[in-house]
Parts: sequence; C-alpha cells; structure tokens
Amino acid sequence: MGKGGMSHGSAGEAKDGEEENMAAWLLGINTLKIQPFKLPPLGPHDVKIRMKAVGICGSDVHYLKTLRCADFIVKEPMVIGHECAGIIEEVGSEVKKLVPGDRVALEPGISCWRCNLCKEGRYNLCPEMKFFATPPIHGSLANQVVHPADLCFKLPDNVSLEEGAMCEPLSVGVHACRRANIGPETNVLVMGAGPIGLVTMLAARAFGAPRIVIVDVDDHRLSVAKELGADEIVKVSPNIQDVAEEVSQIHKAMEAGVDVSFDCAGFNKTMSTALSATRAGGKVCLVGMGHSEMTVPLTPAAAREVDVVGIFRYKNTWPLCLEFISSGKIDVKPLITHRFGFSQKEVEEAFETSAGGGNAIKVMFNL
Amino acid sequence: MSGGVVEGKEHKDGEENMAAWLVGIKTLKIEPYHLPPLGPHDVKVQIKALGICGSDVHHFKNMRCANFIVKKPMVIGHECAGIIEEVGSQVKTLAVGDRVALEPGISCRRCNLCKDGRYNLCPEMKFFGSPPTNGSLANKVVHPEYLCFKLPDNVSLEEGAMCEPLSVGVHACRRANISPETNVLIVGAGPIGLVVLLAARAFGAPRIVIVDVDDCRLSIAKNLGADETIQVSTNIQDVGEEVVKIQSAMGSGIDASFDCVGLNKTTSTALNATRSGGKVCLIGLAQSESTVPLTSAAVREVDVIGIFRYRNTWPLCIELLKTGKIDVKPLITHRFGFSQKGVEDAFETSASGRSAIKVMFNL
Repeated sequence: MGKGGMSHGSAGEAKDGEEENMAAWLLGINTLKIQPFKLPPLGPHDVKIRMKAVGICGSDVHYLKTLRCADFIVKEPMVIGHECAGIIEEVGSEVKKLVPGDRVALEPGISCWRCNLCKEGRYNLCPEMKFFATPPIHGSLANQVVHPADLCFKLPDNVSLEEGAMCEPLSVGVHACRRANIGPETNVLVMGAGPIGLVTMLAARAFGAPRIVIVDVDDHRLSVAKELGADEIVKVSPNIQDVAEEVSQIHKAMEAGVDVSFDCAGFNKTMSTALSATRAGGKVCLVGMGHSEMTVPLTPAAAREVDVVGIFRYKNTWPLCLEFISSGKIDVKPLITHRFGFSQKEVEEAFETSAGGGNAIKVMFNL
Repeated sequence: MSGGVVEGKEHKDGEENMAAWLVGIKTLKIEPYHLPPLGPHDVKVQIKALGICGSDVHHFKNMRCANFIVKKPMVIGHECAGIIEEVGSQVKTLAVGDRVALEPGISCRRCNLCKDGRYNLCPEMKFFGSPPTNGSLANKVVHPEYLCFKLPDNVSLEEGAMCEPLSVGVHACRRANISPETNVLIVGAGPIGLVVLLAARAFGAPRIVIVDVDDCRLSIAKNLGADETIQVSTNIQDVGEEVVKIQSAMGSGIDASFDCVGLNKTTSTALNATRSGGKVCLIGLAQSESTVPLTSAAVREVDVIGIFRYRNTWPLCIELLKTGKIDVKPLITHRFGFSQKGVEDAFETSASGRSAIKVMFNL
C-alpha cells in the first residue's frame, strides 16, 4: 500500500499478492471517496507508474462542485486529478526509453493519432481525446496508473516530482506563449494572477518577454505575481464601467504598447480590457474559460487587426517545460502553497483549500 | 471634361477642378476643388472611374463612420482609377497618359507599424474620403506616385477602380491563409462578401459556401461561382440550425469563415460553424460591442482575425484581373455620370442595397 493512503473497505491484498490500487473517486457533488481502482492490463507500449505528486486544477474543483465542466458531464463515478508525476514501476514489452525506477512527469491526454488534427500536430484538439479526469476517463489521483510510455517524460535529476507535476499547468502557459508568439520584442499584459495567470507570466518571461504587466482584483495574488517577477502590477475592479480607466493605467504601467494580452480569467470585463488595451496588430490570447458567450468590443479590436487567439490545453510542451525548470529559467516551486497526503480526510481538506482561493495557488498531493 | 456639369467659374490656368463635396447629412454638392501643388514625387490624375463604397454611403447618411467624424465639408469617394495628366519632377515609373488604379491611403512610412509593413494600421493614415482627408470623386486629384499602379492594356479603368474593394478580399484571404486546402464559408453576399468569394477562389479555395438573408444576392453569388448558397434568417435563434445546414452544404470541415457583415448573428454563425483549429476573419465592422460565443470558439482554438482595409494588394489584384483569374465586371451593376443629379441618384441607388452591388461613376 502506498504510503499516506488510508483505504476504505478491505485493505486486503488481491489474489496474486499485489497491493490494491486506491484512487480518489468523484461520486457525487462535493463527494470524493478513496476506493479501489482496478487498473487496465499493461499494453506493450504502456508503463505502470506509482503516483508521487498530483496537483489540483481549477477544473478538478469545478467537477467536484458541479459534476460538470462546460460540455463534459460526470455521469458515473470517476477518478479525479490529472496534474501528476511519479515513478515507473513496470514497462510494457515494446517500451524502449523508460525503465522501472525512472521518475516521470505525465502528459494527461491520449489522442487518437489517426485523425487529421492529430496528424497535423494539433492533437490537443482531437475529438477522441481521452484525458485524465475529463469524463468518462479516469484521472490519476491514485496510487498507480497505467499510461502510454510516449506520454511519460523522464525528469532530469535536478527536477523534483512536484515540479514534474507542475509541468501540466505550466504547459498551458507555454502553449499560450507559443500561439501568441511571445519573444524578446513582445510586451505582455496578463489578466488574472491566479495559477494560470502566474504560469503564463513565468512562461512569457522564459520566452523573453521584456516587460510584463499583470492585473487582478486581489492584492495578495498581485503581490505573489510581483515576487515571481512581474514588472508592474495593477489592481483592477470587477466593475465593467472601469475598463477605460484601467486600460489607461495599464498603458502607463507598460510604458509602451501592449503587444500581446493573455486573458487568464475569461470574463467580459477582462476580455474587454485585453481587447482595448492591446495595440493595433497585436494579439489577445483567450486562455481563461468563463461563460461560453461573451459581450465584448470585438469589432473595434478587429478594426485594429487585434487578433483573438484561442487556447485549449497544450501540445508538445513537456520537453520544453522540463528544460525551463531544469535550467532554472522557470521556478514553479513558489506556486505550490499547500501540501496534503493521500488519505480520505486530506483529500477532502485539499479540495476545500483549493476551492477556497485566497492564499492557495497550487495545492499538491504527496503520495 | 466628359460627363460633368461644371459649377462655378473657370480658373485662369484651365478648367476648374470640380468634386463631390459632402456638406451635410445626405447632402452632396459638386463644387470647385482646389488641388494642392504637385510635389516632386506626386502625380496629377484625371479620375475616370470611381465606385461607391458602403463607408461612403455611411458617411453620406451620418456624417460619420465609427470614430471618423465629418466636421467640415469633405470630398467623398475613394475607389478610383484614372489617367495621369502631370508628373512631379522626381517621378520615374509613370508618364503622362498612363492609366492607373489608385491605392487611397497615404501612411506616414515612419512609425513602427509602417516600418513593419503593416501600414494599413498607421495612426497617421490619410485616406481618401475618411475625414478629414478629401476623397477622389473629382475631375482630378494629386496623389503620390508610389500609390498609383499602372493598368495593363486589357484591364479597364472601371476594373482598376474595383481593385480597391477587391483588395479587402485579397487582404482577408492572405491573413486567413486561404489555399487549395481551405474550405471557406462566407457570411454575407454583399459587395464585400462577393469580392471575398472571388479572392478565395483565386487563392485556390476548393469549396465555398456563401450565406445571406437576400436571395437576389445569393443568386449573384451562385453566378459568380459559389459552390453552395444558403438563405439564412435575421433571427439569432436560428444559428444552431443554420450551422448544421452550412456544415452539411460544405460536406467537410470549414477551415476558414469570413464574416462580411459583423452582426452578433453572423459572427456567432461563423464562430460555431468553423472547425477546431480554424479561423474566423472578421471583416464587416457593424457594431461596437458584440455578444458572441467567443469562449466556445477559443476552447476549440478557432482564432478570430481582424481585417482593416488592406496592404500591398494592388499588384496582385491587377495581376488577377489581367490573367482573368478574377472577373469583377459582374459586380458593377449601375453606372452614373458626374453631375449633381448623377451623384444624388448614384448614392440613393447604392444606399438601397438589394440588386445594387457596385455603383460606378464614369467621369
């Protein structure tokens, strides 16, 4: 039995002497239970991983609270969690690059590799995507999971398992920076200093962004952003009437044109601000997912050729994330604010902490 | 001077230059237009063909267009072609008698956007018929040499004037990366939707579906080569159903959509109909705030690309017209002469829409 985990039901061992694999199951609204999780057999290209670090994402919290996220609906019990890293325990017969004992970070989504989007490399958009903890696919907050070897990335010696788990949220920031073409010439505005705004900021800096202004309604989050290297922070209101004034403040803080804005919140106000603040010919990256319909000044932006770039998860980002972390270009450790073990009580507390916002940025399980 | 009734007296050095001045809401008057002196890099052009644009009509009706406000009398018109009458001392590539199409906008050529090649976004842009810069519905104008493009013998002056609206379509197709692999949806079959149709085909788009509320415009689109046309409603509730029809008509994923109208319904339709990873080009600039399913599009990485006028499109437009890859002549539905009555009738015709696509002045 993995350390730290208390199991419900019989703690017994299965017939062939293996420990019973336990996972955190989402059974209903606000109801998580640690229960047995039977793994599929190991395919020739799969590996079995002992989970060591799993972070909680806003989408995990959303599923817990509502049993759905956008069009994904939880219709039957599902294992939660997807931001993870662990140690290889067993490898399939065709696995060549990984061996038991290797420490790996996991990319959660298994795409079909056959459709046009996959073949084009835009596999994040695959309609057949099987993604940890996106119903009906089980997640990875468990003692062990089985996963394709090609989606497991070996950690350099100087990268911890927790940092490995952080590759997942960091990947969103990296993918957004790539789509928005962030470089040494792009001044960046980040709307929202939550976990996604912060990883986007870290990624933008790593891509060379010379100046980064970040805005939020919350003082504490802004101070965290400042410590993480934002050039300027601007406190903004939730009031849509304030857009024009805030755009003014943002321009002053940037001291130059805003080349690229990242809306990491996804509200009418944040998107309106981003669209208005970005210079002619610039880009606004919509990362945050608020309401499906938005009311924003789209035409005035289009008439200045400000493009809106959509972001959905990531593609081909793990190697770069590991390189950034290993080289020290990005330090994700300050984002991990709370840690919990893998027990019924701690799973409940961890989610409560994450859902509470406030000082909590990344809540991490250590298994 | 052909076609124009001259008002006012003649000048000492030849006939007086006359132009159509916008002097108030729905009030155009042909009056003298005193030209600036010819600079060393300028040419004087006798305007022969000029088309009316939706923005001209908008200025005419409202004395403004978005943030451009007409505060004093302004010569209207910008889609034009003519014959060189005089060249400045440093002009090398053009000669008197040359037939040229004019690109309307003089950018500053010094700011970062200009130096980056995105001169259409220049904040100091001086554009014919965008206040406060006088337009070109006149007997003559003075214009920089580098913005006058010589027409091949087989391209008429009217086709030269059509390069301007066609440029919007060409610029949009470039920004949207239209190619032999991009199936295209066009929302709106007005003059802009139609030039986008022509340009998309010229860029190789294999399949083009075009939609509109007006069946007369749809039949024009079909004649111009649309693969499928669909009549849609003005009712936003119908978006879901219409998207299904559109996708059926396309038969495969929609790679790029052009919203040539810019209303909530048209933008929503374009966003929902486009495949994951595709693009929506927003050309129609109808309203200041939009309520649209932007997030649903963004989570499928459907990007929204803005279009403002054009840049570096005249040579390509002229080439496409010269080789016959594009035929703009069917878009010219009405012609008027340059007289007070002609001008008034022309604008009324253009404003009425429906069967009027491009109203052209012959001067």
